Order: sequence, then C-alpha cells, then structure tokens
Amino acid sequence: MPNVSRRLLPLVPVVVLAVAILSFPSLAPNPYILSSGIVVLNYAVLATAWNFVGGFTGYISLGHGALAGLGGYATGLLVTKAGMPAFVALIAAAVLVAALAVPLGMAALRVRGASFVIVSIALVLILLLVFQSWASLTGGSRGLVVPRPFPSLLRPEHHRVFFFLYGGLLALALLTWWIVDRSRFGLGLKALREDEDKASALGTPTFTYKLIVFVLSATFTALGGGLYALWFGDLDPVFQFSVLTGSYLVLMALLGGVRSLYGPLVGALVVGTALEYFKGSFGNTPLHLVATGVLLAVVVLVMPDGVLPALAAGWSRLRRTSQTSIREVTAAELRDQRTSAASAASGSARSADSAGFAGSAGSAASGAGATSPGTDAGVSERASAHERSGGGGGKPDSPGRRDQEARR
Amino acid sequence: MTLATENLRKAFGGVVAIDGATVEFQPGKVNALIGPNGSGKTTFFNCVTGMIRADSGHVRFGGHDVTRKAPHAIARAGVGRTFQLCRVFPRMTALDNVLAAVRPGGFPKALRGARNPDEIERARTWLTRLGIEHLADVEAREMSWGQQKLLELAGVLMAEPETILLDEPAGGVNPALLDRIGALVRELNSEGRTFVIVEHNMDLVMSISDHVVVFDRGRPIAAGPPSVIRTDERVLGAYLGV
Repeated sequence: MPNVSRRLLPLVPVVVLAVAILSFPSLAPNPYILSSGIVVLNYAVLATAWNFVGGFTGYISLGHGALAGLGGYATGLLVTKAGMPAFVALIAAAVLVAALAVPLGMAALRVRGASFVIVSIALVLILLLVFQSWASLTGGSRGLVVPRPFPSLLRPEHHRVFFFLYGGLLALALLTWWIVDRSRFGLGLKALREDEDKASALGTPTFTYKLIVFVLSATFTALGGGLYALWFGDLDPVFQFSVLTGSYLVLMALLGGVRSLYGPLVGALVVGTALEYFKGSFGNTPLHLVATGVLLAVVVLVMPDGVLPALAAGWSRLRRTSQTSIREVTAAELRDQRTSAASAASGSARSADSAGFAGSAGSAASGAGATSPGTDAGVSERASAHERSGGGGGKPDSPGRRDQEARR
Repeated sequence: MTLATENLRKAFGGVVAIDGATVEFQPGKVNALIGPNGSGKTTFFNCVTGMIRADSGHVRFGGHDVTRKAPHAIARAGVGRTFQLCRVFPRMTALDNVLAAVRPGGFPKALRGARNPDEIERARTWLTRLGIEHLADVEAREMSWGQQKLLELAGVLMAEPETILLDEPAGGVNPALLDRIGALVRELNSEGRTFVIVEHNMDLVMSISDHVVVFDRGRPIAAGPPSVIRTDERVLGAYLGV
C-alpha cells in the first residue's frame, strides 16, 4: 500500500489543478474576477515557459516579455493583415517566434551570467523601439486592435472560453516541462546549470542544449502572448515590450521555485493575484511595484530556492529515517584497516583454498562492478589490486570497511 | 589511441603560456606531466580538451586533428578530464553526477528517461568501485573534498573515455585517499585506459607513472621513464634551480 500511495502522490497536484481550472469559471462571482483569473493563468503560462530557460539552464532572462510581445503582435498582424483565422494565426505566430528565437538564442546564449541578463534587456528595448516606430505595420503608439475570435459570445462567455484555453496551454507547458525534466536531455541541462564547462567536458553539447530549450521556451511564451492578443484584443508596445513583464516572471519563478515543476505556477498565483489586487484597490500607482520589490527581497533572503523546494526540504527532513555520514577515513583508521586486512589475509591463507580465492579476487578486480562493498571479497580485491600497483607499501583502505565506518 | 600535440601555442596577452609544445603521450600507459607552477601544464590540458582555443598548432587524438573541436566533441572522441580545482555538479546527487556523463544521443532518444535501470546500475558500479556508493543519494555539495574528487573521477569513468587527463588528483587530499587514488589509477590503467596526470606530488608521480614529460616555460624540456627523469639535470634545474 505505501508503494501505491507513493506512486499516486504526484497525481495529487494534477487533480487539484484540473479541478481548480475546471471549477473556477463557475465559482467566480463576476466577469472581472474571471478576467483576473485569466491574467493570473497568463502569468502562470509565461512563468512556466520562462522556467524552461531559467530553471533548467540557470540563465536569467528579463527579456521574455519581448517574446510574449512578439507572439502577441505576430498573432494580431496575421489576423488583421493576412486575414488568417485566429487560432491558425496563433500557431503560425508561435512557429515564427520559434524560428526567430534561433538566431536570437545563438547570439544571446554565447554570453553567461550578468551579460546574458543585459542582452535580454536589450532585446526588449530594441523591439519596443521597433514596434513603436513602425507605425504603418504595428499601429505604433496607437496600438493594434485584434478582432475577437468569437464575436457572437458575450463578454463573460468570452472570458470563460479563454480561461479554459489558457488552462489547456498551461497543462501542455507543464507536461512538456515534466517530460524534459525526467529526460537525459533534462539531466544534461541541469548539469550545465550547475557547471557549464564541466558538463561540456563530460560530453554534453551545452550550446545546442541551451538553444533547443530557449526555442522551446520562446514557443510557449509566444503562445501565451498570442492567446493574450486574441483575448484582450488590444496591443500597445509599451505594455507588450516591457522589462517589467520579464521581471515579474523571474519573481514568480523564484518565489515558487525554479527547480520545480509547479514552482512558477505557485509564484504566478501569489504574485499575479497580488498584482491584480493592488491594481484593483489602489489603481495604477507605483505601489504594486514597491510591493513586488519587497516580495523579491524577502524571497531572496528567506527562501532563495523558492516556496516549494523549502517545503519539500522541510518534509524530507521530517521523513528522513537514516543518516549517511560523509566522514572520510583517517590515517589511524587506515592503519587499523590495513592491520585487520592483513590478519584477515593471513587467516585466509591458512585455509585450504587460499590460493584459489586470491586468484579469483585478483581477476575480478579488473572488471567494473566486481567489487562488493562491505564484503571480505571487496577488501581482498582492493588489496590485491593495490599490491599489483606496487604503491603505498601496505594494503589500502577498503571501500567496504570505509562504508561501514561511515555508516556507523 | 595516441594523444599528441604539435607546435601548440597559447598566449594570454603578453604571457606565453604554451610555447610551441610538441608532446606525444604513450597510449595504454600512465603518463605524467610535471613542471614548476606557471609552466603551462593546466593551460596545456585546457587546450587539449578544447576548453580554451590554442593560438596555433595541432592536437591529435588517435590520428585525428581535434584542435578546433568543441570540448564535448573531444570528450565524445574519448578524452575525459578532471579539473585542478575539483568540479562536480554541487546540487545534484552523486548518482546524478555520474549519470550526467551518459551519452544522451540525438533527439528523440535524448527525451528518454534519464533513469534507465542499466545506466543506474553502471553508475552505482563506478560509485562502488570508487568507494562512495553509500553517498549515491547525497548532494555533491555535502560531500568532502576528497569524496568530491572521487565523484569527479567516477563521472569521467562513466563516460568511458579511452584517455583520462587528471589535473592534480592529489591536491588537498589526505594520505589515505592519496594511496587510494594511486591504486585506482594503476588498476584502471591495467584495464587499458591511458592516463595523463598533472601532479606536484613527486612520490605519487614516480610511483605510478610509466612515462614522464617535464614542462618549463610552456614547452617540454625532458621526457622519459621516471628513473631517468629523476636524475635529469634540466629537470633538477627547472625545479630546484641548481
């Protein structure tokens, strides 16, 4: 039974999330709350998309607002200028942004750390200028009006449909993140997050991996931005290409936990709801920015890994039943081990089959996996291998005994 | 497969770290690369493994020119390495540190689960062999320096390289571990792996090496078996100034 419950445990958040998404439109007391729910879900999609790059590679992008803006404008322009059906335009826009992300990523991912952050900010600012200046195509500062895909629907129904569409997109983003997370590709990405040079020295094609995950992230970000364009129906370069959007996404992912599947979603629920509350209660004042800054400072100081990893760490501390010592063997212990190994060897030499045993242990030592820690065979193998090497004079420490020492 | 360099040169501004080094390491043997601090040994390692790009010259492995190859391509060709300051993936468990060295293959193969039972068993085998299997589920950052050194080597071995470059394996390790590392190198060498070791601990170098190359001012000044190198006047001059 415990095994079954452990296997079913990962399904709990899936069920909770599904129930929450399916029931929220019915529970929302008015269309405004429902539209706030869409904004929060939009943040959740964008933060999860951001987490493909930020979570797996550790590259902090403040420029994801630009990718969302590109997705939004591409969708809007394909609908208004090319006359494409809304959802075909959405997919086409995501493909276009993914294609554009290849050269963007090739340029941006050549630099690391603070340099990458600056490049990502530059991307937002350049695109803001382009989309503001190119008024004949984008509408410039007047904005771009995108026709609603379901003109016959009343506003509450329109919100309801888009809430479910965002829910589906979020589920797809989470599923993709989960697949990457458990894959060899994901392990390679996590390795490069920890130490890029080391990962490369072990054979991971780090640049290719970073580029693939950047394009994946850009695609989901563009889908989020495109869906926003179809839902909201009005795009303004100042809001679409804003460094603030990227900063919010970073804050959400950090708050929830960049190394966890649901971290950005949890962060989006907290920060997105708080932003909507501040804007609703205090208008468009800088107050929400102050609150955001304070929250970011608290998160970094108190829970640098985010809420979910902090909870998981606390839970595993409670459940931990055995302790593993990392203590190394001291020189004195090594001497004792050598003495006891020597007496064990002389004892076995007195036994009738001593010569045969030594021979088999010696040959076994040349094959990986032959050593069995914690067994006399392990001790003998190590000892005979060491003797063949002629190093050290006496017998070496045995991994088996060392393990036993460490476990005490 | 033979690892060799030809007129390799690398300068950092006005500082010439490697000055036309032509070296050939003996395949299937334990080779040592020694020399005073600043003689270019680690830069040489970095150039050979593609971590930094040489200004000129060639690096050949098994007859193929790998000079302009990316580090991961050189690793996949069969050259593994450890670093002077031991490098592990600190927030990954020891087991994941070793599994990270598994060749992922192209897509969609790379999307297969990272926890393949066969690979886990192979990873645990290496951890066992290096005596740190009991730490398989411990994050690398929680391990001691010596254990991290062993873990780093386990990761390299998991990638199954033909030639292994060890940069100061004895640096900062206790005498017990030093013995263990020496024995491991001989043991792994007896299974057919070539080693190139940068090391300052002369006792270790002289006891485990078959072939020693001595570097000074970015170029080899002597090469030969330990017994010859020990008495070479150029070596004594470079090391001791006599």
